[in-house]
This record gives sequence, structure tokens and C-alpha cells, in this order.
Amino acid sequence: MADSQLLFISLCITIIGWFAIYFVPVQLKGKITIGFVVLNAILTSIPAIHVLNSEKFEILFSGIALIGEVPIRIDSLSAWFILIINITSITGVFYGFGYMKSYKDQKSNLTLHWIQYLLFHSSMLWVCMVQNSIVFLIVWELMSLSSLFLVIFDHENSKTIKAGINYLVQMHIGVAILTMAFVWVYISTGSLDFLAIAQFFQTHSNIWLFLLFFIGFGIKAGFIPFHSWLPHAHPAAPSHISGVMSGVIVKLGIYGILRMITFISSDFLLLGEAILGLSVLTGLYGIINSAVHRDFKRMLAYCTIENIGIVGVGIGLGMIGLGNGNNIMVILGFGGALLHILNHSLFKSLLFFSAGSVYQQTHTRDMEKLGGLIKKMPQTAFLFLIGALAIGGLPPFNGFVSEFIIYKGMLEGISSSNMYQVILIVISFAGLSIIGGISILVFTKSFGTIFLGSQRTHLHSEPVEVSLSMRLPQYIIIGLMICIGLFPSFFFSYTSQIIITSFPGLGVIQTDSLIPFMDNLSLVGLFAAIFLVLAVIVYFVRSLLTKKNLTQVSPTWGCGYVAPRASMQYTSKSYSKTLGKLLGFIVIEKKKYTELEKSEIFPEERKHSAFYVDFFENRIIGRITNALQYFMNLFQFVQNGSTQMYIIYGLFFILLVFLGTLFNII
Amino acid sequence: MISFILIILVSFFFTGIVIRTKSIASGRKGPGIFQPIKDIIRLFKKGAVYSETTSFIFQIAPSIYFASVIMAIMVIPFGQYKGIISFEGDFVFFAYVLAIGKFFSIISALDTGSSFEGMGASREALYSMLAEPAFFLLMGSLSLLTGYTSFHEIFMTFHFGTYVSYAIGVMATFVLVMICMIENSRMPIDDPKTHLELTMIHEVMILDNSGFDLGLILHATNLKFAMYGALIANLYFGDLPLYYSIPIFLVIQTLFAVSVGLLESFTARYRMSHNAQFIFTLSSVSLLIFFGVLMILGKLV
Repeated sequence: MADSQLLFISLCITIIGWFAIYFVPVQLKGKITIGFVVLNAILTSIPAIHVLNSEKFEILFSGIALIGEVPIRIDSLSAWFILIINITSITGVFYGFGYMKSYKDQKSNLTLHWIQYLLFHSSMLWVCMVQNSIVFLIVWELMSLSSLFLVIFDHENSKTIKAGINYLVQMHIGVAILTMAFVWVYISTGSLDFLAIAQFFQTHSNIWLFLLFFIGFGIKAGFIPFHSWLPHAHPAAPSHISGVMSGVIVKLGIYGILRMITFISSDFLLLGEAILGLSVLTGLYGIINSAVHRDFKRMLAYCTIENIGIVGVGIGLGMIGLGNGNNIMVILGFGGALLHILNHSLFKSLLFFSAGSVYQQTHTRDMEKLGGLIKKMPQTAFLFLIGALAIGGLPPFNGFVSEFIIYKGMLEGISSSNMYQVILIVISFAGLSIIGGISILVFTKSFGTIFLGSQRTHLHSEPVEVSLSMRLPQYIIIGLMICIGLFPSFFFSYTSQIIITSFPGLGVIQTDSLIPFMDNLSLVGLFAAIFLVLAVIVYFVRSLLTKKNLTQVSPTWGCGYVAPRASMQYTSKSYSKTLGKLLGFIVIEKKKYTELEKSEIFPEERKHSAFYVDFFENRIIGRITNALQYFMNLFQFVQNGSTQMYIIYGLFFILLVFLGTLFNII
Repeated sequence: MISFILIILVSFFFTGIVIRTKSIASGRKGPGIFQPIKDIIRLFKKGAVYSETTSFIFQIAPSIYFASVIMAIMVIPFGQYKGIISFEGDFVFFAYVLAIGKFFSIISALDTGSSFEGMGASREALYSMLAEPAFFLLMGSLSLLTGYTSFHEIFMTFHFGTYVSYAIGVMATFVLVMICMIENSRMPIDDPKTHLELTMIHEVMILDNSGFDLGLILHATNLKFAMYGALIANLYFGDLPLYYSIPIFLVIQTLFAVSVGLLESFTARYRMSHNAQFIFTLSSVSLLIFFGVLMILGKLV
């Protein structure tokens, strides 16, 4: 079957799917969604794989009034994102099937949820394919709205609704900016096709339009200072949705940025340096915030911001390479970024899924209330541990591979750029190493507090290991992660090929010049495997030698104190307190408590809480919205609730229109 | 291969020399230089006590920690001889492999559920994070200077000639020594001989380890010392033939051990709250190296 037919069928299937989900009984809704998502994924993956292996795919729909021709193009860049979307959506739907079982009494809510999931998956795929501005914006909007409905599944909770509205507003600011950018292109070139953007860039200044696109897509991607929706939306959403959102939806922001980079034709150096600088700051900001929060889903959301920073570092490097004509740097930078996008979508969904399992069993997102779960949910603990190792960029997992490629890109950049770039790149180099260091702190903290030690508070129900349908997708993700970790050159050969085909400006690329690096990369995989083997050998020798030795079990050494309690364990707050203090100018700590009055001779029980607020949200965005709100409140008298006044407004308006037409003003 | 064997050999008596120096400095005779390794062998034969709070993490962590140090040692070259593992960008691998060991040693400390061990873990994570940029800036600058990205090639092409290069050599040695002290939690960052758990970092993390596991952890410390000593020695080898480089290696390791001993005898541990600032200043020394490199390359006007 031709690829275009497959795509058409996939579109039809989505629509059939909605009705099917609506009509089947409640216990089948999840299963049928799995079926449709998998079918959709297969149908769209086939063209994507074709594209990755051979040439472009393009069809034009024409004859639609107003919109003009609608080109549907899949190039290797889209194909890569389509595959990532499909992997994460499939694991997400399998996990979600298990996760949602506990909500089966909310029938209509579930129907809406699964219908939206199908729409969400399909709209993400089409975002990567359509290249007509208007249709793109419609699909983009569908994606944002469907994800909004997925986020606010738990809509009876006012916090969820608040997070949802926050998300909605920020996405629409993004869409407004994107619309502005597309309109600008349309006005100057008269075409809605994406190729017109390339034309625009050839004849106009590149910086301003790219800036608009960068902000528009950057809000989705979560670059600072546009990140503030992430730490609200991710914790509010059900875990499979957080996993998919963090895994792919933020990556579509990156897709947009990358797509625009393929179109621009000058100012690479300036834009590249700006993106590199911003990305390092994004990474540092994300990981520092993630270190201090005790809500583990918020912690993961901030960590997503950090990883977007790492991806951005790769993109910035690639652009500097484009500006300098350094092809190796282009491939290492962009290729590393693309691989990190895949990697992050894998380990972040894994982490969200395993964190979701914890939430499902304990009904709390507060790490401080947990502890010792490794004994009750050993498999979930193992899954989280692997995710934590991978996201920390530790070998033998996949995170190391992409970070290594980006490090290599930097080293390549150091030796072949001018002084300012060298200084910028060296500082980013150190920045990336700090990010790596803090992420180890973050994930030892979260793993340690959630799973290790002993239980800190009494939970309402005893947590048990989650169902197989929730664990299985996570094992599949781990399998993929290890594949990337051990055979990095196979995956990198694809991403580098994508870069070569996406940037025709690269000229004739010397594939030979990549061969030493490819060999290098396969060595990394090999050594990662050797490390794994070595660790197993050491452990095996240890077990063999200690078999005869006497072992006994006794309480943890309390350093002389004989009545230790679970609540005396080191908490996540105290674990990261020193870091929080050091960086108190970024992570602002606020405290809420009531002071003891002098007259209170017998003080009552009271609460003391300390929490961290987001610097940008609190200090910048918050002030702007507060000022706006103050200004708007000045007009409150207009809406005073008395019907007589409203009738007067109506009459006044009619009068205004009448006079306006009378004197030819309107 | 040769560096691997030599580092393993040196690790047997490195801490012995440190302890001996400290004893002599404080007017005692002190144990023989092989006493630490004898202690470790004795620990290997001993039984173990496990905390009832711990899980399998506590069982596997010491082995992974040890394996990570061994893996890192394999990366170290020896003058003109490559390490067992050598590829472009291997110093990134080196740092990350050490990090995986650290990750496991931290979570094994948290596994015991002890407040003291949690405190040590928190400090270890923070301090090693702060030391990370110093190492990366140092290696980045050296790679900028030499144009290579693997330990072996960087050290082979790093030559002393100008005044600036001597300054770089001295500063690089200083940075590596301090990183080594931080990684091993020795003075002036941490005092392994302190008797108060509240003031320890590494020692408090391993309070609950005993027997074979404790032996592994202790020997990993020895190996780490010898490993950093080898890195420092590599700065000075160039491509000397073996009959020069092996004696130089041993002399540098001994000097390193003696200076660690002297440092520990005559300095007090810094205040815990000031450690973070102190460690971060290491990065500024690394930045100086970076600017020195720019000067040599003529990129800095």
C-alpha cells in the first residue's frame, strides 16, 4: 500500500476510534484505545521508516478555499519525531490502561479521556507532517487542547483546574506569537506553504522572525523564561499523560525550532550563541529547581526543563557549527540533540510512569511522606532506579551517549572557533558538567527518599506492587534504553543522516570524516558493556568469597542513640537544603507560619511550612500579571450585576453604532 | 595496561605512606606502610552485619562503586602507553564512570535510613557536584591547548616550554590534588579521623558497611588516590621511556602521599558551611588555567 493511503487510513481510524470508544462499555474503553493507538502508530511509522531509509514523502492537497494547497511532507526530521511520538504514545497508553483502572466508576470522564488521548496522539503526528501555516496552527491547537483535557482529568480538584487554565493561557500566548510569525511570512511572500518561510529568510533579516518562532515554540518546549506552565501541568495530569507530555509534547516545541532552523539562511552564529547561552541557563535553572522541590512530579517536570536545556545546547552548537562551516560540529550538535530527544522521551516517560505507580499506591506526591517503598514495590523501585541512572547521564545507559556526543561537539567547537565562542563553549562545558552533578544529587535524593530507608508516615492503605500492564511498558522502555546505551553508533548513524539530509547547506558532507567518530561511539558502547560485566564480576566474586562468612542482621547503627524513629531520617528537604541555601538567589524559599503571640500562654497546635517558589513565575511573570490585574480591576464597576445598567450599556452601544454609521466613522 | 598494574601496586601502600607521614609528623613511630592493605585483607575475611532497614541496593552498591573505580583506572594512560581504554573524549567517560560509583555509594548510605548517613550522602553529592566543573574546565583547557580529546594524547602533547605552561602545570597539579582530596573526602574538606559523626562526609556514609563491603570501599579509596596520583604524574611524563617514567611515577606518587600526609597533619578541616565556597574556588583556578591556555595560543590579546 502506498504511504499516502496509510496516512489516510490512519486519519479515518482516528475518527472511527472516537465513536468506538464512545459506544463500547466502560471496561473495554482502555483496551480499545490501546488497539487504535497501536494501529495508528503502525500506520504512521511505516511511512516514517520508509522516509528514514530512502527519500522524502510529499503529497499536496489542493482545492480547499482560503487555505490553498496543503502540503503533507515527511522528511527525515519529521520521521524521527513521528517514531518518537509513536513509541512514547504506545507505552503511555499501555501504562495508562493500568493506571486508569482505579477510575472505572467515572464513566463519562473516562470516555472523554480516551477520546482525547487518541486525538492527542494523532494531532501530534500531524503536527510533524503538515506544512501549511493555517492547517499547522489548527493541528497545533488541537494538540494543545486535547492535552489540556487530558491534564484536567481530575477536574474536581481546584488545583488541577488552575494548572489547566495556566497551561491553556500559556499555550495560547504561544499560538498567538506563532500566528503573528506566520502572518508576517504570509504578508511578505503571499504563500502559506512552509517553503515560503525559507524564501522569507533568504530576503529578509533572519533574527526577528526566528525570534518570534523561537518564543512561540519555546513556550511549548519550556525554555526559560517560558517554562512556567511545566511545573504546574505535569503534576496535575495523570501520570501516563505527564509521561507522554514530558516525553513528546515539549519535544514538538523543539521540532518547531529545528524546522525553522532548517529554513534560516544567515545569522547562524548570533542565533547559535544566543541559543547556547539560553540553553545552558535553562538546564541549570531546571535542575537547580528540581533539586529543591519535594513534590516528585514537580521535581520531574523541572528536570524536563533541564533536559530541554541539554537539547538546546546541542542545537546551539549545531548552529555555531553552521555559522563557522564546521560540519562535524553541526552533526555532533544537532545529532546529539536529536538523540537526546529520543533518550529523554524514553527515560522521562519511564520516570513518570514509575512515579505514577508510586502515586497510585500511596496517593501522595510528597516525597517527605514516603520512604522504604523498595520493600513493598521492588520492581517499581528498580524501574525508577534505572530511569534515574539514565537521566543522570551515567553509563551504560542511553543518557550518557547523547551527553557524550554533545560534549564531543563542544570539544570540536573549542578547537576551531574564535575566542568569544571558545569562552562561551568552555563555560557551557563546565555548565553541562554542573548540570550532570546536580542531576545526580536530584536523583539520589528522590530515589533515596521515596524508596529507601523506612516509611516516614502512616499511609491509608498498604502500598503493593502495581499491575503487569503498568510494569510491562516500563520494561520495554528499559530495553530500548539499554540498546541505545550499548549500540550508540547504530542510532547516531540515523540522527547524523537526518542532519545531513535536513541541511542541504552543509554541502558535500564527508562521510569519511564521521567514521572515526562512529568507531569512537561504538567503543563507548563497548566500554559501557564492559563496565556492566565488571560490576557483575565484582559482585559475583564478593558473593563467592563472603558465602562462608558469618552475616547477621541488626538495626541501623544509631551512633549511640538507642531509640531512632523513622521520622528522624534525613529528608529530601534537608538533603538539598545546603544547595538551596547556596543558590538562594535562584530558588527562593518562602515560609508560612503564624508567629507566637505574647498573650498566648498556652499556644495551640500550629503549622509551619516552607516551600520554594519559581523565580521567573514569582518575580517576573507574577508582577506583570499582578499589574495587569490591578489595571483591569479599575474597570470592575462596569460589571456591577444590575440589569438596568446592562440595558443602558446595550442602548449606549446601539447609539454608538447608529452615530458611527451616520457620520461615516465605521 | 602498564598504568593499570602500577596504579594497583601503588594503591597497596599509598595510604600507608600517608598514615606513616602523619605519625612521624606528630612524633609517633606509626604502623608500616602496608598496614592499611593488611587491614583490608582482614576485613575481606570477616563476616558482616547488615542493617535490617537495608535492601538489595546496600548489597550491590559497594561492588558497583569498586567496579567504577577500576573502570576509571583503566582509562588512565602511562606516558606513551595508552590506558586499557582509550578513545577520543575518554575523560568524559572517566568522570561519568566515577559518578556512577558515587551514585551507588550515596544511595547505599540512604538505604540505611540513618539520619547521619543521609547527611553524609547529601554532603558527598553536593561537594562532588561542585568539584565537577573544575575537572571539566581543566580538561577542556588542556584539550584546547593540545588539540586532542583523550587523556593519552593530551598528556603526550602537553609540553613544558614557556613560563605560562609551567604555571599551568602547577595549577593543574593543584586542581587535581584538591579534586582528589574532595573525591576521597580527606582534609581540608573532610576529616576521616574525626570522632563526631556530624562532622564527617565519607566516613559517616559507610557507618553501616562492614566486612567484605567495607574492605571494598576502603580499597576503592586507596585506588582513587593512586589514580589521581597517576594523573598528576602523567602531566610530567611526556613521552619518556619506561626506565625513566616508572621511577618518576613512583617518586611522584610518594611525594603526593607525603604531601597528603603533611597537609592532613598541619591543616585543620574547614568549616562545613565554608566548604562549598572553597570547592567552587577550584573552578576559578581552572578558569585561570583556561586563560593561560588562551595566552599560549595567542587568542587572548
